[in-house]
Order: sequence, then C-alpha cells, then structure tokens
Amino acid sequence: MAQEKMLSGCAAAAQGAKYAEVEVICSFPIRPYTAIMMELARMVANGELDAEFIHGEGEHAQLSVVLGASAAGARAYTGSSGVGVTYAFEVYSPAAGGRYPLQMAIADRTLDPPGDFGSEHTDAMSARDQGWLMGWASTPQEVLDNTLINFRVGEDPAIMLPQFVCQDGYFLSHIPDKVIVPELSQVREFLPPYKAPHPLSLECPVSHGPQIRPDQGAPMDAQRAATFLEVPRVIEKAVADYNRIFGRNYDPYLEKYKMEDAEVAYFIQGAHANTCKAAINRLRTKGLKAGMVRPRWVRPWPTQQIAEAFSKVKAVASVETSTSYGGAMRGGNLVHELRASLYDLEKRPLVTSFMAGLGGDVILIEDFEYMANILTQMVQEKKTRKHVYWIGFEE
Amino acid sequence: MAEAFDYKKQILEPIKTMRSAPAEEMYLPGHRTCAGCGPALNYRLTAKAAGKDTIFIGPTGCMYVANSSYLCTPYAVSWIHAQITNGGAVASGIEAAYKILARKKKYNGPFPNVIVMAGDGGSVDIGLQAMSAMMYRGHDVLFICYDNEAYANTGIQTSPTTPYGANTTFTPPGKVIPEGKTLFPKDPPQLVIGGHPAVKYVATTCVSYPVDLMNKVRKALNVDGPTFLHMFTPCPKGWKFDEKLTREMGRLAVETGMWSLFEWENGVYKYTHIPKEYKPVSEYMKFQGRFSHLKPEHIAKMQAFVDEKIQRVKAIAVEAAVPTPKARA
Repeated sequence: MAQEKMLSGCAAAAQGAKYAEVEVICSFPIRPYTAIMMELARMVANGELDAEFIHGEGEHAQLSVVLGASAAGARAYTGSSGVGVTYAFEVYSPAAGGRYPLQMAIADRTLDPPGDFGSEHTDAMSARDQGWLMGWASTPQEVLDNTLINFRVGEDPAIMLPQFVCQDGYFLSHIPDKVIVPELSQVREFLPPYKAPHPLSLECPVSHGPQIRPDQGAPMDAQRAATFLEVPRVIEKAVADYNRIFGRNYDPYLEKYKMEDAEVAYFIQGAHANTCKAAINRLRTKGLKAGMVRPRWVRPWPTQQIAEAFSKVKAVASVETSTSYGGAMRGGNLVHELRASLYDLEKRPLVTSFMAGLGGDVILIEDFEYMANILTQMVQEKKTRKHVYWIGFEE
Repeated sequence: MAEAFDYKKQILEPIKTMRSAPAEEMYLPGHRTCAGCGPALNYRLTAKAAGKDTIFIGPTGCMYVANSSYLCTPYAVSWIHAQITNGGAVASGIEAAYKILARKKKYNGPFPNVIVMAGDGGSVDIGLQAMSAMMYRGHDVLFICYDNEAYANTGIQTSPTTPYGANTTFTPPGKVIPEGKTLFPKDPPQLVIGGHPAVKYVATTCVSYPVDLMNKVRKALNVDGPTFLHMFTPCPKGWKFDEKLTREMGRLAVETGMWSLFEWENGVYKYTHIPKEYKPVSEYMKFQGRFSHLKPEHIAKMQAFVDEKIQRVKAIAVEAAVPTPKARA
C-alpha cells in the first residue's frame, strides 16, 4: 500500500528518483539540493536502489556524465542549486539538442555575489531557453509527483527531452510535509522502462552530435520547436493517468485557487503560493475577491491556459521570485511572458509585478496584502501606475 | 555486488606485424581532414586495433570538426560528440550505463571498449578536470590524447603541449618576443601517472610506428580500468611542413629525442625504439615552418631541454620488444 510519510522536498525528490528506478546518478555537493543526493547515496549503499552512483567533479561533469549515460540507454538523474546550475550551463543545450531525456532536480539558491544560501528562482530561470522541460512544485508531494510525471513526459518517444524539476530551496527542499509515497507497481504502470531509440550500441553503430552546415541548422531548430507543440498533448495524457493511478487531482498546467469569481489575482510559481493562498483567505474575509494562478510549467509555457485563467479578472499581480535586470518590465522574468500571454485577450486585465522573496527572503501575508492594495488601486484608477514594485523598498 | 558481476570484458590479441593487422577498417574515408593529417592516420590505426565492439567519444577538436560531417561521419562504430571540456565525464556516463544495464540484464553483449579520442586541449588543458576525475573514479575507459601540439582547427593557437619556440597565431614571433612561444610544454603522461592511483597502464605512441601503436591500444583496452595513451600526431598545417613528410616527422621526433616511446605499467617504465645515437633537434625542426624564425640560441635552448629528457630516458630505460597485450589471468 502507498504510505504517508513526513518528507522534505529533497527527500521527496529522492523517493521519486528511487521509484523511477533511475540507473545512473551523478552527484556534486552544493546546498540545498545536496540532501537529494545524500538520500540517494544512502539508498544505493544499503541496496534499496541498484544504480551507478557517480561522484562528479562539478556540476558541468554531473550533466556530462548523465548525458553520456542517457545516450547509452540508461535512465539518468542529477541535480544542483544556485551557481552549480550556472556552472553546468554548457551542457544544457547538448542535452536537449541530443534529445537525452535525463532529469535534473533543482532546489533554487540565489546566485553569487554575495554568497547566499537563500532561495531565488534566478538560477534555474536563467536556463529556461535551453530547450528543456521546466516547472516548479509547491509542496514535497508535488516534487515527488513531478519527478515521475517529468520522466514520463520527457521519455515519451514523441518528445525525448531533458527535464528541470524545480523546487524552492529551504522553503520546500528542507521543510517536511505529508507525502504519499507510492507503490512500485503503481509507478511501473505509469512509467514504462526507458528505451532509447538510438543508443550508442555495438550492434547498430550510430553517430551522435555530428557537425552540421549552417543551412542544416534551421531545420533542426524547427523540429525542436515543433516538438514543444507536441508536449501539451503528452502532459495532458500523463497527468490524467497520474491522477487516475495515484488518486491525485492535478490540473495539467495551472493550479487555480478561488479564480471562479476573482476580480484581482496573483500569478506566482513555487512554494510561496502556499502563503499566497493563506493571504487570499484573509483578503476574502475582508471582502476582496482575490484569486491565484500558479503555473506548473515554465517550459512549455501554458500560454492559452494562462490567458483563459485571467480572462475575467480586472488586475493581475505577477509575483517575481527571479531577476531580469534591465528587462522590459525592469523587474523579474515571469511578467514578460505573462503579459505576452494576455495580449490577444479581448479584455486584457491590468498587470503589474512585485519583486518579492529575493535572496531567500520570506514573502509575508502582509506583503500579499500590500500587493492587493495596489491591485485595488489599479482597478479603481483603471490604469497601471508602475510596471514593478520592490516589496519593502516602496514609499 | 558490482565486483562480483561478470561484465564480459573483451580481450584483444596481439598484432605481430602490419600484415597480420585486421583488414577491417573502423575509421573510414570520406572525412575532411587535411592531406597528411597525423591525427586521422592515428585514428585509423587506433580504431583498427580496437575493433568493432567499441564506442568512441569525440570531444571538440580537429577529429570532431574535420571528421564528423552530418550524415557522413567516418566511424563504423558508435561515436558521440562531447564538448571539448567533458570527454572524460561523458565517457564515465557511458561506461556506467553499460554496467548498470548489464547488471539489470538489459544488455548481454561484450563490454564495449570505451575510448575518448581527445586532442591536447581536450585532454590536458580545458579537458583536464574531466579526464582526471574519470581516472580517479576508476572507470573502464581508455583516454587518448592525440597530440598535434596546438589548437589546430581554430587556426593553430598555442596549447599546453605546443613546444617552446613554436610560431602559433597566439604566439607570433615579434620584435619583443622573438622566439614566439616562450613556455615549455606540459608533460601529459606524468600528469596522469603522478596523481591517479587507479591508472595501471600509460603509454606513448607515434603514428610512424604503427605496430607498436596498435599493440599499445590493445594492451590499454585489455586493462580493466582507466588507461591513458599520449599519441604523437604530426600536423602538416599547424607545424607547416610538407604533407608528404608526416611519417618522417614522427620518426625524426623519436630519433632526436623530441618524443620518446614508452610504456608505464604498474609503476615500471619500458622504453621502445631508443635511438643508438640521438640526432640534434635541428634535424627535426628544420622541416617545420613553425620553428623557421628561431635563432641559434633558441635552438640551443630547445636542445638543452631535450638533452635533459634524454638523460631521464637513459637513467631508467629498459628496452623492450614490441609490446604484447596479454590476456588477464
């Protein structure tokens, strides 16, 4: 029987990897994701999991090792945080372009300088355009579930893409919560064994990653773009199967909280969504019809679903947990794609953004209330005064 | 558990003469390397010796860029491009994958010969970290540094194995720096031998001695664990010599002491092809445009460097016959 346990986000990710029966794991220590690898090392040492556990000499090597393993036909797993995520950067594009469906867990950490253990999404977000699947969980349960769902989607023969399975550092990675750990039989029903279509084999020699001419580049780019158009279909089927087999109730793309009658709404990814929901409950007792939309995927970006979700609200607050210095809205990343998603709506809501939770700071219920006041003001004035507000730094 | 499992390690037999070498080519024509390319000839001999049950990892370098044109790569065995940075790491992953797939009975064939064919940059410069870590971890991988003594496919820039005095596009001779390159090169075999207890076999080869070369490849592959070959591969374009002289450059390098052929096995050195009398280095340098700007004092400096190397060879030389791969007990 499936068991309920108290697990942190890191422990949940390790359980997900174990039940996915990962075959090659490559580690390198950096907080906070390290706890995932500590847990997997323990499982391999005591025989809970039969896998090759390789001590990479850095994050660049971690990605390189799992790339090689995936190319040879094994299910491969790695992870990192913060500057580790950026140190591995060279290998992201080859992993996606080579169509190796390996998985990388990311527990966010602020990039240097200065050294900071706190969570911030900039590390992973900086890799969002490398051709991987990418999304954030908001609870340890969702971390475990996303680990399995991502392998299923990434390894689908029509997709074949690597996956960033992200969680907030500390808020999620190190705070235990109730997690239903599945049965291996359930997981095997959901996730078939990985079968590489063209592995580096002795019987059927293949060449991976040869040099192309410039005129051969665009067709390959177009193929990769077309693959991303196929992903939603595969996500929908995978999530439907997951909900059926494991008794969950996930929307494939978005978590929507009290959006049925919402007049103002938050757009937020990751674990801060839990505080956001508490704030919404409080705001509603005061009579404000607030709601929340939390994307479960950044890549592919659920453009259509986001547009539909916000089609009836008057004002939206994009809560930014990453930085995009000098970007179009002068604040974070999410708001750019949010505004692009809403552009084709007949009645576009007003949109602004709030820089919050940077450097690992908490976002308080009071902060969400402050955002709600700005949204209310925008609705009254029927205009957006500013594109970005820095929580704690405004007049 | 891992120790007890039989991964079906291959054992390759010795090659006695050129005539008895396998006729089958694993590195085929159709690539775009320069006329007289030492690394291409080296690849052909290496692949021939390794045979069909082999996987090559090709970090970026000449042997990637000039070889592996999309839809017409020259490899008759499986091959994967690696970044110039990570040949050792990609190879580690491939080796690990075959181990776990064999353990889980998803793969039943012979354990592949996993060979990294890296240039000097991809092994002892930007690729050093990945190579060293692969060796430290003890993966069953043969790491080859095919040394053409420069970053050649990017237009001949200096690398850590470029010799003193060479004219490269990053070390052009000029009024202030008349000799071009002022530094002396790294010593790749010593880097490996000095710090990697898991490595039990290291050897140097030269394309001009093909039987010696092929047997060293086989011997390295027969070792269960990481091994290293430092392979001398003259580059007509980079060194600016007549392309018909590739083999001659290899021979002269050995005859002048610029290059020495040896094996290092479990801590013991064995040298092969030690000249009875070493020729002066100028005999080797005079054919190469990269040294043509050097003045007598620079050549004397090079001779002194080589003389010191020769003293080391003489001190420990145990002259050996053609190296013979032996089956594991």
